[in-house]
Amino acid sequence: MNQALADTPLSALPTPHSNGETVISVTGLTKVFKDFWGRPKARAVDNVDFTVRQGEVFGLLGPNGSGKSTTVKLLLGLLYPTKGHIEVFGHSPRHVPTKSRIGYLPEESYLYRYLDSRETLDFFGNLFRLPKGDRAKRTEQLLEMVGLTQTRTRAVGEFSKGMQRRIGLAQALINDPDLVILDEPTSGLDPIGCREVKDLIVALARRGKTVILSSHLLADVEDVCDRVVIYYGGKVQAIGTLNELLAKPDAIQITTPALSRETMERVLSTIRQDVAEAKVQIDTPTQNLESYFLAVVERAQKAAAQTSGAVAGATVAAYLRGETEAKPSPDRILERLAAPQPATPAPAPAPAPAKTVDEHKLAALTKPAEPVEAAPGPAPAQQPQPADLQKANEKLAGLLRKQG
Amino acid sequence: MQRLFAIAWLTWKAAFRFRLFLVVAVLLLGAVVGLPLLIKDDGTARGFTQILLTYTLGSITALLGLSTLWLSCGTLARDVEDCQIQMVAVKPIARWQIWLGKWLGIMSLNAALLALSGGSVYALIQWRADRLPQKEQEILRNEVMVARGSARPESYEKEINAETDQQLKESLEKNPGLKADLKEVRQQIRENIKADYQLVPPGWPREWKINVGLTRQSLQGKPLYLRIKFNAVDKSASGTYRGIWRVGVPRQTPLWVSEEMSLAPDTFHEFKIEPCLDDKGVLTVGFGNLNNTTLLFPLEDGVEVLYPGGSFGLNFIRGLGIIFCWMALLAALGLAAASFLSFPVAAFLSLGVLTLALSSSTIANAVSEGTLMGYNEETNKLGHSTMDLIAIPVFRVVLRVINLAKNFSPIDSLSTGRSISWTDLGLAFAQIVLLLGGLLAAFGIIAFTRRELATAQGNQ
Repeated sequence: MNQALADTPLSALPTPHSNGETVISVTGLTKVFKDFWGRPKARAVDNVDFTVRQGEVFGLLGPNGSGKSTTVKLLLGLLYPTKGHIEVFGHSPRHVPTKSRIGYLPEESYLYRYLDSRETLDFFGNLFRLPKGDRAKRTEQLLEMVGLTQTRTRAVGEFSKGMQRRIGLAQALINDPDLVILDEPTSGLDPIGCREVKDLIVALARRGKTVILSSHLLADVEDVCDRVVIYYGGKVQAIGTLNELLAKPDAIQITTPALSRETMERVLSTIRQDVAEAKVQIDTPTQNLESYFLAVVERAQKAAAQTSGAVAGATVAAYLRGETEAKPSPDRILERLAAPQPATPAPAPAPAPAKTVDEHKLAALTKPAEPVEAAPGPAPAQQPQPADLQKANEKLAGLLRKQG
Repeated sequence: MQRLFAIAWLTWKAAFRFRLFLVVAVLLLGAVVGLPLLIKDDGTARGFTQILLTYTLGSITALLGLSTLWLSCGTLARDVEDCQIQMVAVKPIARWQIWLGKWLGIMSLNAALLALSGGSVYALIQWRADRLPQKEQEILRNEVMVARGSARPESYEKEINAETDQQLKESLEKNPGLKADLKEVRQQIRENIKADYQLVPPGWPREWKINVGLTRQSLQGKPLYLRIKFNAVDKSASGTYRGIWRVGVPRQTPLWVSEEMSLAPDTFHEFKIEPCLDDKGVLTVGFGNLNNTTLLFPLEDGVEVLYPGGSFGLNFIRGLGIIFCWMALLAALGLAAASFLSFPVAAFLSLGVLTLALSSSTIANAVSEGTLMGYNEETNKLGHSTMDLIAIPVFRVVLRVINLAKNFSPIDSLSTGRSISWTDLGLAFAQIVLLLGGLLAAFGIIAFTRRELATAQGNQ
């Protein structure tokens, strides 16, 4: 996958931008499973309401059996609501042309076991009526992206679970969908695969794609989602942006480089003037295990270590990055600029994502705390401004001249 | 079409990867090659070829029919049970396209298998025929490996009905207080009148007029064949009955008279006659009963003239075409069942329907007798049950539906060298594929469209 993305803390990447167009609208959604005699057996989804807007990464979070997958299947028209209303791109989930804008990765591999990777992608490409040339090109790019180029003629039924997830992910993206629905996308994947999937989600969202991520893995959701809905017992327990849901408005955290004992004492004494000592915590930040693991593996890869089966994908497929030609396009340039430059040779384990404190943030933090409420809409969009784009282009032009 | 073909292509892939195609092809070729080694015939090349055609084409139809049912039930029901259909249904393809794509896939497989096995039968017959002595080859090419048209005498249905009504009216006038079942009385009168058109009393002749119509021009100098069947009122000691046949009208047309023949009752006999037609294309066939008992030639199939009409090759292809129509119906039946049932239940239901269709003669008997209770030979009366009020009308409809598909007999026609016309093939396509298959497809597609596809949890 994209090296630049892999080296960057996901939270440090530009947040996806929403232009406000409603992609999914769910109102009073209820699904009751019935037995043979029509008697209610289980209320899997109970009076659920939410809206997903374009460019959002929307998380469906909840324990097993909480109704996440049922909601996903209702959104896809694979199950029919007992009550309530669903609109996807302004149509019923059963509206056939709308499905050409959707990509779906189910929680299990439901692919045809007798087809190989190439045939699988070609088959699904045909269902989207992609021309032969496009199918072949996208197949190659996707296989490379998910790291299955070396197993393209092996039947999918012979794949490991992780490889099946990878080919499943590839088929979900064959049509360059506007809405990607991923049900437990990292299930069965190794940490590298998990990271690649999350990178991909971020890359898709940066192109204005809408992503719905259903997962019970909190880290997955926290890493990539703008807004989440938390299910329990088929009901929505909470909904809102991660900041709204996770922020502790009555506490602040300051991270600095290591300080001398004197400086620390001075800072603490200043703080103790306003806050009781028992309420102040001091510790050393640690990186998370994922970042550490990825750095170790990267070092091993550079030492030419070989693995069998799936290999780490090279890059996000060109057409998924919005590239139609091999030559750099404005989107591509911007995307590269938006992502930090790759670190040189083998990066040492990086510290955990560090938050920079600017004046605005500081001002915001010193304001009196307000109670957190579930936000009805998505997070405010952070669209790149025209001036930023121009600056980015100029920067790239300068870099290219230097290289030349 | 791209989506339809993608689904059809998937069925091909599955059939090859699971070796279904290979197994069925080997079984079919085994039947074609192996059956001639096992079957017993009457010792003539004609008899052997007839039996060969009947057995091999019958086996091909049975094997292909069963594999079609199995595959059509499996290809859809298994996809639903293993959740693979979820991956397809979320793509921009309508449910009816998935259903039709599956059907097209199965039918293209059937076309390949039928072409392979049918071609093998044809090649085998030709190969064996080429190795026969010239005289036997001639018999074979005139009587079996040919497409012969057929003509039958007038059915006299109108005359029989008119006469029946007249006699019934007279009976009612003579017996105003008659309390018998009118329907039964009418039936008895009708059978008596019909017998007059069929019976040949001892020592008496009977004549039939058979019009071959416009084909008379093409029949000049070509051999005709008379195909006859009769029943005898009393048994004869030898088991056969004597008679003389005459074709043509004295002083008006050429005349052909047979030698005295001794023939068995209740079976078909076929012999060559001269084309002694009159100017209007009417062939007059006479029979003289030389026995001491009355003989009965059924109006339906007692006397028939067969004449050369076309090549065996094309006739064979048309025959395979009708078998293909049957396969199309079975594929639609299996898919319709799998559209709302699990695989084992769908397979069981489809096989049950097939068995019912194959045993339609029992239903036909019940319908013709008007009761489920049958005929009591001790009392010489038909039984009666209150169930008849519901069952007989239902059976009548079921029989009519089954007969839409069963009224074609390509294997019998091919083994007796009778022509299967393009009209027959067109009619088979219209009745079997468009009407019956269309009804099943409509039902299956509606059921499949209404079905929630994500209720299965997957078996992978």
